[in-house]
Amino acid sequence: MGNEAIARGALEAGICFAAAYPGTPSTEIMEALASVAKEAGIYVEWSTNEKVAFEAAYAAAMSYVKSLTTMKHVGVNVAADILMSSAYAGVNAGFVIVSADDPGQHSSQNEQDNRWYGMHAHIPVVEPSSPRDAYKLTKAAYVLSEKYKHPVLFRSTTRISHTRQPVTFEQDIPGEKKRKGRFDRDIERWVLVPAHGRKQKRRMMEVWRKIAEEEGVEPFIKIINPGMKKAIIAGGIAYSHVIEALELLGKKDEYTVVKVSLPVPLPYKPILRALKEAQEVLVVEELDPVLEMQIKKIAYDNGVSTKIRGKDVVPINGELDLDSVARSILSFEGREPIMPWKPLEPLKLEPPIPARPPVMCAGCPHRNTYYIVKTAANKAGLKDPIFTGDIGCYTLGYEPPFHTQMTSLEMGGSIGVAHGLSKVVDEPVIAVIGDSTFYHAGLPPSINIVYNKGHAVILVLDNQYTAMTGHQPHPGTGLTAMGEPAVRVPIEKLLETIGYKTYVINPMNVKESINIVAEALKKYKEGEQVAIVSRMKCALQAVRKARKEGIRLPVYHIVEDKCTGCMVCVKLLACPAIVVPKGAKKPKILTELCVGCGLCAQVCPFNAIEIFKEGSPDWLEAWK
Amino acid sequence: MARYNILVTGVGGQGLLTLGRVVGNAAILAGIDATIAETHGLSQRGGSLIVQIRLGDGESPLIPRGAADLIIGMEVLETARRIIYANPNTRVTMNKFLWPPPLADYPDLEQVVGKMKETGVKLYMIDANRISEDVVGSVISANMVMLGFAYAVDKGLKKLFDKKHFLQAIERVFRGKAVELNKKAFEAGYEEGLKQT
Repeated sequence: MGNEAIARGALEAGICFAAAYPGTPSTEIMEALASVAKEAGIYVEWSTNEKVAFEAAYAAAMSYVKSLTTMKHVGVNVAADILMSSAYAGVNAGFVIVSADDPGQHSSQNEQDNRWYGMHAHIPVVEPSSPRDAYKLTKAAYVLSEKYKHPVLFRSTTRISHTRQPVTFEQDIPGEKKRKGRFDRDIERWVLVPAHGRKQKRRMMEVWRKIAEEEGVEPFIKIINPGMKKAIIAGGIAYSHVIEALELLGKKDEYTVVKVSLPVPLPYKPILRALKEAQEVLVVEELDPVLEMQIKKIAYDNGVSTKIRGKDVVPINGELDLDSVARSILSFEGREPIMPWKPLEPLKLEPPIPARPPVMCAGCPHRNTYYIVKTAANKAGLKDPIFTGDIGCYTLGYEPPFHTQMTSLEMGGSIGVAHGLSKVVDEPVIAVIGDSTFYHAGLPPSINIVYNKGHAVILVLDNQYTAMTGHQPHPGTGLTAMGEPAVRVPIEKLLETIGYKTYVINPMNVKESINIVAEALKKYKEGEQVAIVSRMKCALQAVRKARKEGIRLPVYHIVEDKCTGCMVCVKLLACPAIVVPKGAKKPKILTELCVGCGLCAQVCPFNAIEIFKEGSPDWLEAWK
Repeated sequence: MARYNILVTGVGGQGLLTLGRVVGNAAILAGIDATIAETHGLSQRGGSLIVQIRLGDGESPLIPRGAADLIIGMEVLETARRIIYANPNTRVTMNKFLWPPPLADYPDLEQVVGKMKETGVKLYMIDANRISEDVVGSVISANMVMLGFAYAVDKGLKKLFDKKHFLQAIERVFRGKAVELNKKAFEAGYEEGLKQT
């Protein structure tokens, strides 16, 4: 996998320190490093957020210890403050920041192009075209960072990070480790008061100028088939699409291809040469015209009038692929985009194939909590609450039948937005946030509500892991990234200390939880500051534990004689294990999918849902 | 040489990524270059999922619509949804398991199969969930049943791989008891496939 290739490249480059906060599509880089940390003799941590991770890894690089931090593209927004400063102060050992971008928004709230961050912060950007290329370029990024004593931003994308490809290792991981460094008390460098900052900026701009001047060589810029009248300049994964598209169109010999692996700052010398040699140039890049703008500037500054085209023929939205790039090339040539493949039309079915957005898993504790809080709100007479939301599996609560996520903007946003809403609207407001997200960015806005006399319920869904990205441990799990025991930081105690009357529920006990939440919501109505922590382990982890320890979970079924076909279980819970067979009047539980949480049995008004296969006596242990 | 394109489709949680990893390891063992584009994160949670396997020299990881040589469908509605990746010469292998999303109306198996056959694709079906339950005691190895089945019916795969490549790949991907169980599942799917060729 591309992410594993990046991890291997970083290990070969000799990193000794790595810190990150998980985020798709970046997560597996740190997971791969964590899994070999002890063996490789390096330090790896899951930090509480991207800014904290960046600071930790940057401190190592300030102190002569090679380091890495990784994050998803929007994670760089969280770390942007220190990112800017790191460029001013520079580093004393190789330091690479991996930004894994998500063109096409497979798992993100936007598809921002983080090459701009390099431009914005004056940090060079290295960008690979394949997992194999990512392995090599990670090492090159460390060489660049050490050469200029400057941070380097390594930009991957979903299709690099999450594509598997055979990679042949070029070298061993160095045996000798430099885990301990030293801190130079260099006040003028590390204390960025205005007088120092002005000096540092001059250093930074000199580095910037030099990179653009001198790094127009392999592996950062590579020229294929030079001297042709037509040229394509391509960066990142777009390069891989271009090579295959030219081959497919039989045009390989007609084009010079310039592969750009250092898009920011674009080294101008080889680009200028290509512009002078060609009569027409096409720039192919995913998302924004970062290369195109720089190339047009190089042409203008040097009085070159070669025709340069880019985003007028290459899509600006979403991912590129072989098909769209081949079409772009034909369109650039003024030809009809006729493709060699003849796709079938979508099947005409009645009813049509229903959309299948992601859903909460069978046994997911969020389903229980959402059912409980909606039922309790009714019971407490809390009319039409606004549910502000956040980033995690529980964001799926936006879907019917729950509608318990009415906003989802950024990490921690549920609580900050809830505060503002509570000041300007009359409806009750409930902020729903996950455990990992709470540790990440939930504390400052929680404090703000109490301090500034806002009025919103904070509901923390604690499934004990950073679940959506693959169950990384966090400060509530009791484990570190390297598998060592850790203290647990109890969310309820934090909230109590801030000033919330805090209730803790186990949502597996549905009736008891409804009563507790209803009481909490009544207190909220009376004007108290209230928080609820709903704690139940992620179902995927419970199932995993059961399988590992030979625990048998109970399995439920619907007793046909007792079922009236009221569909309450189907309509209120939307559990993927409960289906209505085509033409049937009563639902059915897919027993192979049921994990025995028992929510449906507790909800059924006719007690028609019963245990079909008993669990082992200790089955509840799996959920602990 | 044009690359050989395999589209794996199904619902998140059905073992698509694992199937992709087994094919990837088999490719390494057979000395074939490969890219396998996966889907992770939120889209993995019970949603529509595809894994795109491209075998042969080249690094562009996404299969153009109409360019799939083989579709391995773990679920009926998802296979129908991704038929746009097929052309009339594509082989479609499909698990006879229709798993409707919650709260949705949907077309039945007969209708889907009928429409699929009208397109001219070569359609092969198998009840991989049941075979997995028979062989290993749960549906967990339905993915390996499907892979064995696809290998038996698809000439393109036969040309690229020996059966031993997949069996050795299973040894590399799984651990402990799961190795033998998944080999059995693969063999059971393969046997069923032979009956249909």
